[in-house]
Amino acid sequence: MKDPYTHEQFSEKLRPLLEVMAGEGIQNAVKGLSQMTGQQITVTEPEVTLVPLVNIPDLLGGPENEAVGVYLRAEGEMSGQIMLVFPYERALKLVDLLIDEPEGTTQHLGAYERSALAEVGNLTGSFFLNSVATMLGLEARPTPPAVMVDMVAAILDVIIATAAGVSEHVLMLSATFMQGDREAEASFWVIPDPRVLEAFLEGKN
Amino acid sequence: MNNIVVGLGEVKISNNPNDILVAYGLGSCLGIAMYDPVTHVAGMVHAVLPSCDDTTEINEACSKYVCCGLEVLLQKMLRAGALRTRIVIRMAGGANMLASTTFSDVMNIGFRNIESSRRKLSEMKFKIAGEEVGGNIGRTVRFYVADGRMAIRMMGGKERDV
Repeated sequence: MKDPYTHEQFSEKLRPLLEVMAGEGIQNAVKGLSQMTGQQITVTEPEVTLVPLVNIPDLLGGPENEAVGVYLRAEGEMSGQIMLVFPYERALKLVDLLIDEPEGTTQHLGAYERSALAEVGNLTGSFFLNSVATMLGLEARPTPPAVMVDMVAAILDVIIATAAGVSEHVLMLSATFMQGDREAEASFWVIPDPRVLEAFLEGKN
Repeated sequence: MNNIVVGLGEVKISNNPNDILVAYGLGSCLGIAMYDPVTHVAGMVHAVLPSCDDTTEINEACSKYVCCGLEVLLQKMLRAGALRTRIVIRMAGGANMLASTTFSDVMNIGFRNIESSRRKLSEMKFKIAGEEVGGNIGRTVRFYVADGRMAIRMMGGKERDV
């Protein structure tokens, strides 16, 4: 299979489409998260970047940083991977917010707390995909999310292992969710499957 | 001590007793190390995927695959002065990060990495002296060139030997 990321038409044809998708889709995802938490959550300017796989473990502050990853797949015409990564301490605070307890209440992430975080993945993923469906007419359904509490690099291995057989790069739509105090709340990544990008390039979508 | 980072798909070799070969935060990836206790030549591969097809040429570009990575690692060990019959193997990693979810069956790359390395090492007539593989937790792996010791650390835990 031809590596779709090095395709000569990537920059002129694919990038503008993905930028619209990232902008609208991620804005919609953060709107969902604001509604869910009752907090004003903002988002940095979404980016479309081609990232070498070898750089991925270092993208979120260091490979051994303790983090929580919520991972889901999108299935359908716009298939791909969706990953939300929270710094561990932020995840604890977010759980307090979700279960309406004072900040500092949640000290560890058991089954109940993890399911609250899974719901955040579910909601932001669904809002993103709904937006893409409305904009581009591409149907996709999110799978149930998986929650990982581990070192950043181990969490991101899921993305790396999925992509490494096809390419040395992943094409990533990404943004950082911020709360009022401008502290980073979460990184939101969408990685469309290569076959989706190929379909875009060939004008099938 | 000097940390030498073994990144994704890389093979690193050293015979400097002050060096430690380190692969940070392995999830489904495997860190497989070789050591010659006489010449103190140590090497590690950080493999990402189980196997390449048979037609793939063995070179560093394919060392992200367990099967090819082991061949590249062995070649580099021998070139650095290791004797094949003295080589000791240790490995760690191969977790299933998506355990107990709808993903676990189809996407258990960690398990397939472990299987692939055991098969390949057996073909190469190597025995595994120590391992800490599988489960669903990430591991940082350190391999000490001075004595061939492999140690792992998990989130919130202390380092311990494999």
